[in-house]
Amino acid sequence: MSASAAYVPSGGFGGTIAAGLSPMMANLNVDEGATAMSRAQPIMMVNPPICRYFQRGICHYGSSCRFSHVLTAGEANNNSGNETEVLNPTTSSTNLKKITTESPNARPSTSRHNWINAPVFVPKSYRPTYPSEEVADISTSEGATSICPMNNEVQKSWADVVGGGNVAQRTNIIEGTDAEAMLEMECPFEGPCPYGAYCAYGIHMELCKMCDQFCLHPSDQTQRRKHNQDCLQQHEQAMEWSFAIARSKDKTCGICFDTIMEKAGREKRFGILPNCNHIFCLECIRKWRQAKQFEHKITRSCPECRVSSDFVCPSAFWVETKEEKDKLLSDYRLALGVKDCKYFKKGDGKCPFGNKCFYKHALPNGDLVDVGCPKRARKLHRGSNDFIDLLDIYLWEFVEQRDYHWLDFLSGTSDDSDDSDFSEE
Amino acid sequence: MANMAVSRIKREFKEVMRSEEIVQCSIKIELINDSWTELRGEIAGPPDTPYEGGKFVLEIKVPETYPFNPPKVRFITKIWHPNISSVTGAICLDILKDNWAAAMTLRTVLLSLQALLAAAEPDDPQDAVVAYQYKDKYQLFLMTAKHWTNIYAGGPHKFTECDSKIQRLKDMGIDEHDARAVLSKENWDLEKATENLFS
Repeated sequence: MSASAAYVPSGGFGGTIAAGLSPMMANLNVDEGATAMSRAQPIMMVNPPICRYFQRGICHYGSSCRFSHVLTAGEANNNSGNETEVLNPTTSSTNLKKITTESPNARPSTSRHNWINAPVFVPKSYRPTYPSEEVADISTSEGATSICPMNNEVQKSWADVVGGGNVAQRTNIIEGTDAEAMLEMECPFEGPCPYGAYCAYGIHMELCKMCDQFCLHPSDQTQRRKHNQDCLQQHEQAMEWSFAIARSKDKTCGICFDTIMEKAGREKRFGILPNCNHIFCLECIRKWRQAKQFEHKITRSCPECRVSSDFVCPSAFWVETKEEKDKLLSDYRLALGVKDCKYFKKGDGKCPFGNKCFYKHALPNGDLVDVGCPKRARKLHRGSNDFIDLLDIYLWEFVEQRDYHWLDFLSGTSDDSDDSDFSEE
Repeated sequence: MANMAVSRIKREFKEVMRSEEIVQCSIKIELINDSWTELRGEIAGPPDTPYEGGKFVLEIKVPETYPFNPPKVRFITKIWHPNISSVTGAICLDILKDNWAAAMTLRTVLLSLQALLAAAEPDDPQDAVVAYQYKDKYQLFLMTAKHWTNIYAGGPHKFTECDSKIQRLKDMGIDEHDARAVLSKENWDLEKATENLFS
């Protein structure tokens, strides 16, 4: 809810007074009034000296000033004066508001002498008896910016006069809800409520230092706990995110030598090798691993250290620690495990990778099938005891071409992984 | 992906220019044309080898598929080495062939070649004659290599004996380099060399 909308309650009954005031003025007013009002009141009753600032036209304390804002002291309680001018504390003397009261005895202002005789405005019941009286106080605090329509012995708050004196009735008019209900409601102001203790709403959310928003319930401990937890979690996530960016942003690909985080769109991805910690962008390492002009053994190994890895894991960020890497790799496998294997074809096909396949081997009814170990064709190589794995050679090329959108699960970015899923023993 | 090849060579060029080896004058890379696909490398003969004190110029051709394929490198400077052809300058080095890795750079290639000069592999030769001499008559190999370094790469060691034998063949109307090559091949046996040339 915006500030101006929240302002409606006061405007509704104090239209004549508040109309000329911007919400900001009124807000500032109340802030000052709220702090100074209660202690200022008794002093004002015993004919204080005239406020020098008021005489000059500018008193920032307004009606809560300790000194008299009545130019002829001693006539403060004179009933004959019906009209007065009070400075709006936030405005200069040129912005003086001249407002007639609505009392029956009011006469139109014809001379400056009349308002001099007006009684000083003394807001009623400004004890901070929060929250039971605050519904009434919202109007009186508003009235503090204006004048006091003193007509009788009893000092009435300005709001009493305007609203007809019935607090409960007035609040009904204001909001269409009763005061009780408002006490149960949260103040819609998202910052510190400008009405302070005089706000009609009973619940003012407190400032959460973590997210810097007013969203802590003053008394609801479970809400506070939950919010704190959420905040902490969010904070941790943000930290992790920024750490991930920080450790990734300078990393250059060992093949194209470009800074990976500075690459465009889909090329801005790391290709993580499980068995070593050398940095490549996904495109480059995949291209290298698919190179046909070299022996399989060469392309399967890291171009930097020649340690062989069975697959490449795409990642939006660089993973530094073993924990991060293990998590990434297990997330990768989990994401692939949800997808149906394109070779198994829900039982119609045969997957060369057997139960080593990263993808799901499930029948149409959803039953998972263990297809056993991958079948291996082995032959003696060059007559020596040096075995080569035909499976590696013949099937690998198919696998490298495969196109899966697994990263969608992980990061929500569009990704197709054409990488392999075969894990060697 | 010619684009990647060029952009990588540009980066590598800067890398080599800033590298320590440049400061020590042990390797050097120059551009030949504007296309960044042909370069000229230079390596210093490593110390404590017959190539010490020499400067060896290399021709480097960068394929369009670089760095997924190795650059084509050969010696322009004539050199007497088991793994380098004394005729064509072709190099037998695994990383320039099937043991290439995409993370290798011109700098690592040049340093590898320098290392090759320091540690020949006569069992996996490019030039069988040189390799045979290396294994069979090592002292003669050292002299020949030093002589070649002196003549072609500006090395410090002069061998007047070699020079006079070459002069003898030159007097017979043989080209100087051909004379040197044949004499080197025949272990500086003038008779065998003459026989070889005129048979």
